[in-house]
Amino acid sequence: MNLRTLLDKTTAADRLFFLLLIILSLSGIFFIREILPESQTVLIDADGKPAYVLPLNEDKTVSVEGSEGKTIVEIRGKRVRIMDSPCRNKLCIRQGWVETGGVVCLPNKVVVTIRGHEENDRGVDAVTR
Amino acid sequence: MQLRDKYRIALLSAFALGIHGIESLFPAPIPWLRLGFANIITLATLVLYGMYPAIMVTLIRVILGSLFSGTFLGPAFLLSLGGGIASTLAMGLVLSAVPRLFSVVGLSIIGALFHNISQLIIAYFFFVQRIEAILLITPFIILLGTLTGTLNGFISEMLINNLKNSAQTIQNVSQ
Repeated sequence: MNLRTLLDKTTAADRLFFLLLIILSLSGIFFIREILPESQTVLIDADGKPAYVLPLNEDKTVSVEGSEGKTIVEIRGKRVRIMDSPCRNKLCIRQGWVETGGVVCLPNKVVVTIRGHEENDRGVDAVTR
Repeated sequence: MQLRDKYRIALLSAFALGIHGIESLFPAPIPWLRLGFANIITLATLVLYGMYPAIMVTLIRVILGSLFSGTFLGPAFLLSLGGGIASTLAMGLVLSAVPRLFSVVGLSIIGALFHNISQLIIAYFFFVQRIEAILLITPFIILLGTLTGTLNGFISEMLINNLKNSAQTIQNVSQ
């Protein structure tokens, strides 16, 4: 029995159902991330007090008052950076864009943390079954 | 139940168990991807002998299979049992409701789909409880399930044909 006769045995309903499932699941793979609400948030603490709680998926630039002056935090494309800060060595600015974890400007006492999807961020070394 | 049916169920269960055992020895390319070859036997049983033997074969395969692999009453057993019963029932109901609409391949895809859906539901209620995580993997699981279901359907089709042919040959010889 060759492949041809096997394929001939399938009905129209078989093929339609197969195509439908393939199309639905493929589009599901691409679109489910868009439908699901983004649960990651950006927490900004200034001088030991919480200043902002912002969603990571909305582009926004905010300014917070630290102990030394204004720190500007930018959220863009699901990433965060400290754009400007009045600290001396500018380590926080040089750290650039971050997607997980956070950025800290220690001299100005500004802490930017990304929260959510903690299970996924934990990371796995190995899986045994 | 006739004695002949009991023999059939025992023999088919043994085949299903053997396939199930061999399959669990294969290294899986993706941890939760199983080819589900044991469903070939369930499907052949369903088409050739009906719903009741198919359910029996599935139950025997799942329970004995988990006893042999040491997962009896564990999470894997619960997933396997739920998936097995759901897929056998779905295929049996479709076959008896609309007998000519789907071929063996279509039935196999339906079985794979219900197997996956019931396992996702069981996984949600008993183990994961995070709806986003379940929804995120659902399309992947259904895509893979449809592909393996199609493959199993073709193999099952060949098996059913061979069994029918050999049964006819035996009858012709004995007449």
